[in-house]
Amino acid sequence: MNPTNRLNLISQFFSLTDAHMLSVYEKLGGYEMAKKAIREMKPDAVEAEVRKSKLRGLGGAGFASGVKWSFVPRDSGKPIYLTVNADEGEPGTFKDRYVMERAPHLLLEGILICAYAMGIHKVYIYVRGEYLGPIQRLREAIDEAVAKNYLGEKILGTNFNLEVVVHQGAGAYICGEETALLESLEGKKGFPRLKPPFPAVVGLYGCPTLIHNVETLSYLPFILQEGGDWFAGLGTETSGGMRLYSVSGHVERPGVYERSMGITLRQLIEDAGGVWRGRKLKAVVPGGLSAAVLTADEIDVTMDFDSLRKIGSMGGSGGVMVMDEKTCMVRALYTTMRFFGHESCGQCSPCREGTGWVARILKRILDGEGRVEDIDRLIDIGQFMGGTTICALADGAQMPLLSYLKKFRSEFDYYVKHGCSLVESEPAGVSN
Amino acid sequence: MTTENKILTSELKDQATKIMAQYDQPRSAVLPILHLVQNTYGCITCEAETEIAALLQMPIVDMKEIVTFYTLFRSRPCAKVEFNVCRTLSCMLRGGEEIIDHLKEKLGIQPGEQTSDGKFGLHLVECLGACETAPTAQINESYVGGLTKEKIDQIISGKTK
Amino acid sequence: MPTVTINGQTIEVEKGTTIIQVAEKLGTFIPRYCYHPGLSIAGNCRMCLVEVEKFPKLQIACHVQCSDGMVVHTESERVKKTREHVLEFLLVNHPLDCPVCDQAGECGLQDYYMEHGRYDSRLDEQKVKKSKKAEPIGQTVMLDTERCILCSRCVRFSDEITKTSEFGIFNRGDHSEIGLYPGKELNNPYSGNVVDICPVGALTDRDFRFKCRVWYLKKTNSICTGCSRGCNITMETNTDRPHHGHGERVMRLKPRYQPAINKWWMCDHGRYNYKWIDHGRMTEPVKGSSEHRQTATWQELMRDVSNQIRQSCTDSPESVAVLLSPQQSNESLYLAKKLFVEELKLQHIYLFSPNADGDQDDLLIRSDKHPNRQGAAILGFQEDGENIENLIRRIREHKIKCLYVFGQDLVSRLPHAPITEILKQIPSIIFHGSNSNLTSEMAHFVLPSATYAESFGSFTNFEGKVQFFSQALPALGEARSDLEILIKLANQLGITWPAWDAGDVARDMQAEYQAFKNVIEAANDKEVFSS
Repeated sequence: MNPTNRLNLISQFFSLTDAHMLSVYEKLGGYEMAKKAIREMKPDAVEAEVRKSKLRGLGGAGFASGVKWSFVPRDSGKPIYLTVNADEGEPGTFKDRYVMERAPHLLLEGILICAYAMGIHKVYIYVRGEYLGPIQRLREAIDEAVAKNYLGEKILGTNFNLEVVVHQGAGAYICGEETALLESLEGKKGFPRLKPPFPAVVGLYGCPTLIHNVETLSYLPFILQEGGDWFAGLGTETSGGMRLYSVSGHVERPGVYERSMGITLRQLIEDAGGVWRGRKLKAVVPGGLSAAVLTADEIDVTMDFDSLRKIGSMGGSGGVMVMDEKTCMVRALYTTMRFFGHESCGQCSPCREGTGWVARILKRILDGEGRVEDIDRLIDIGQFMGGTTICALADGAQMPLLSYLKKFRSEFDYYVKHGCSLVESEPAGVSN
Repeated sequence: MTTENKILTSELKDQATKIMAQYDQPRSAVLPILHLVQNTYGCITCEAETEIAALLQMPIVDMKEIVTFYTLFRSRPCAKVEFNVCRTLSCMLRGGEEIIDHLKEKLGIQPGEQTSDGKFGLHLVECLGACETAPTAQINESYVGGLTKEKIDQIISGKTK
Repeated sequence: MPTVTINGQTIEVEKGTTIIQVAEKLGTFIPRYCYHPGLSIAGNCRMCLVEVEKFPKLQIACHVQCSDGMVVHTESERVKKTREHVLEFLLVNHPLDCPVCDQAGECGLQDYYMEHGRYDSRLDEQKVKKSKKAEPIGQTVMLDTERCILCSRCVRFSDEITKTSEFGIFNRGDHSEIGLYPGKELNNPYSGNVVDICPVGALTDRDFRFKCRVWYLKKTNSICTGCSRGCNITMETNTDRPHHGHGERVMRLKPRYQPAINKWWMCDHGRYNYKWIDHGRMTEPVKGSSEHRQTATWQELMRDVSNQIRQSCTDSPESVAVLLSPQQSNESLYLAKKLFVEELKLQHIYLFSPNADGDQDDLLIRSDKHPNRQGAAILGFQEDGENIENLIRRIREHKIKCLYVFGQDLVSRLPHAPITEILKQIPSIIFHGSNSNLTSEMAHFVLPSATYAESFGSFTNFEGKVQFFSQALPALGEARSDLEILIKLANQLGITWPAWDAGDVARDMQAEYQAFKNVIEAANDKEVFSS
């Protein structure tokens, strides 16, 4: 691997053909770090590097990975599991798909390092059901890795065993929530669990369990190669390293962009070719659909977790969705809330009823039958949807709802008053 | 007393048993086994639910819960060509709604329906995780991005042959 | 042991106690739907959200365990506003069925709306349509999926208590629905309990459907007589509005919380076993069998019956037989023993069950289908098949002149053919009972008695636990309580017993037999939907 090109850690594999094949991956230095860890390092030492790296969870929660590892009890007498969250359901996010399709061995190497450090011998990769291509690639990669003794029994001549199983999901965004993922993996509906207890202590089959996003694990080989401090230095004070930003929507070049945590949103949009068709920027969702929307005035924010939180949004999954001046924000919000209504598991009342209700009100507004009370009512409903539920789906619905209504209030008022959009919408023009 | 399994033939049962062996608790195999059965038969019938529930020693009502909770499981056979078109934000921003309208018009059906000859089906789905090629659809098993009206027409006429 | 403060009251509690449990100890009620002390924690209704200091978000009281120094506020403005909104969320898709819903008057949504809601509806949208309205899901329960608030109590009940797993929640989001697997029925022996625990009218009782509005019901503490378990019940009656009852006074039986016996539950057999209280009753004293039957006054009958007994006793005490029943109350059996054994010195006094043994399970159901076999045992009466065989032999030998039965139907219970022929050998059959049967048809004297619903008394369950039941109804027609009948009879026979009431008899009974002092008190009244 070529770590000195600091802009292309994970992404160095994306443009190489056949990097998903073991022979190619090995030629690029693949599995060298896993070998180093297993043969030369003590598990504590691996853990120390991860802590120093300030690696944050890149699936959406942004929890410090080193801290998460420290929550797992090693002396419970029960096996410790690792489940890899490859459910990638947060709209606007597609970077894990790239990793699994184009660099599955990188993920496996990261899994191996983590498992070694934590004394884990069984790993389940929970992949969303629609990702048939990535699932195929992962299964092939595992077969290759087992054949080459990187996985399975007595790995690399040591006494360490590790089994990795790819588990196909079946179409439920909520299964990206870690405890819903565990429920689904145990053969039930994806109903998030009451917390405490937390998965680190009581997880899969009642055993201590680590749950990590695909991308988070994929950075582990790089952290071991150059050290945790180095990785931390690539990012900001509190968010170490790089991350894969998924940029989509009204940009010239939608795609995955691996950048430092310290990049600004403005810079990231420019790297993706800027707003398309020469139009002006109107709004951006910076961290997946659950993140509060930002206006064009707010794009000088640094794209790390804490900076985004400070301005009232979130780093989330790194899914950046760009909206140009011709976007109708009422329609965008309706599309958003309809998603949450569709994906709510239905377990608890504020989310189950609230998301559906909000979507219906917005539909009515879009159909030209909005009423004066509607906007304030939406805000009031939104305020009690969040902070009252079993999991964060409703919080994820609340943040866009309240931010759109706050920052684009005039558009909503207009729609209610006039029964049509303030914005002259133009068809995206899906014709050649 | 052995009952003849209509759905879980001995071959499928072998595969199912291998799948179960990968998990530390057999019930975890329910999603992979449902996928196996659906890939073989095209949908999940009550018969299938009964046999799988018996194999995994699960209450039968739990099977119904699972099949109705997860959107990828179908109770009725699907069309030969299933258009699962994304309707979430990035695809909406890049013309997804026009693609959906075009499909409705071209196929003469509403989302959730099949054409009367069983050739084409239309479903609206949420984010497929392929926003960089918006508007994207999953057509049968493959992701097809950068959809345009022309591309849709080509696919329809191509599949009709 | 952690110390926790709720609304300013501090208390020390066991480790592991949840906030909602502690609040109950302090007499503070936290509203809830999905929480039920007899089921696992679901935490999905969100009604019990309370403020806990040092926690930024509100916490559900049903799940959070008390930690030392925890300070909880259950009535702050923030909590009240949240409750109002949670209630609103639950009502968003709930149909306006109150006028046609049996749950009205004991409905969780109605009650909490009055207590915590009182807002004007803001819903201008179409409510989500669910698939099943007024659909029977078995013999006993009616399902209405629109009314369901998805608290999952029924699911947990059928998983954890009966372990039959009939219920599931299908689909997701606001299209979620309660249901059974297509083609399956709810037919376990405890199916009626799901109606009790459903906080709303989604699961209603088919037997009670549209019978009577619950605010017209009078509720009396009673004990089930279906088997020897002695489940605590509430007998719910309506006598003021007979047009609602269609000739019945007992409208329904409901289980009553009793930690020592049945907790929150009762079986279906017990639950629906009440129609006999209003049907097939004998309401007038009668003398003469078959064609010669005629009604009589109590005075007449008492005189005639006492003459018969006195005559038979004089001729030969061996010719009088008494069949006591394990359906009689402790007090009735005690007085019967006093009269027949101690005063009249009769020897052929046997315990004979009206019902055959039935099924038994690990939950509540006992194979002995009588409430008071143990009470009879304490008084020294055991059922013995040999004794009964001897009795039948003696009847055949014309050695029994007078037979006194307490409600049993020998014709159906003794398959010896021809039992009716055998009974015809007895010159004088005295039937003391509440409901007519083939034996009462053959009796020469019918002393109509009050049922347990119309009496005060106690039963002793199979574990020796004594429980009192209260009188829910006046005796029907001319029927009299067992005690009254026995005292009257004693008086006619020259035995000077005063007009004891059931309380007097109970006291004497307990003084004479220590075992009757093992009384289980009724548990404190609990909110109707925590039970």
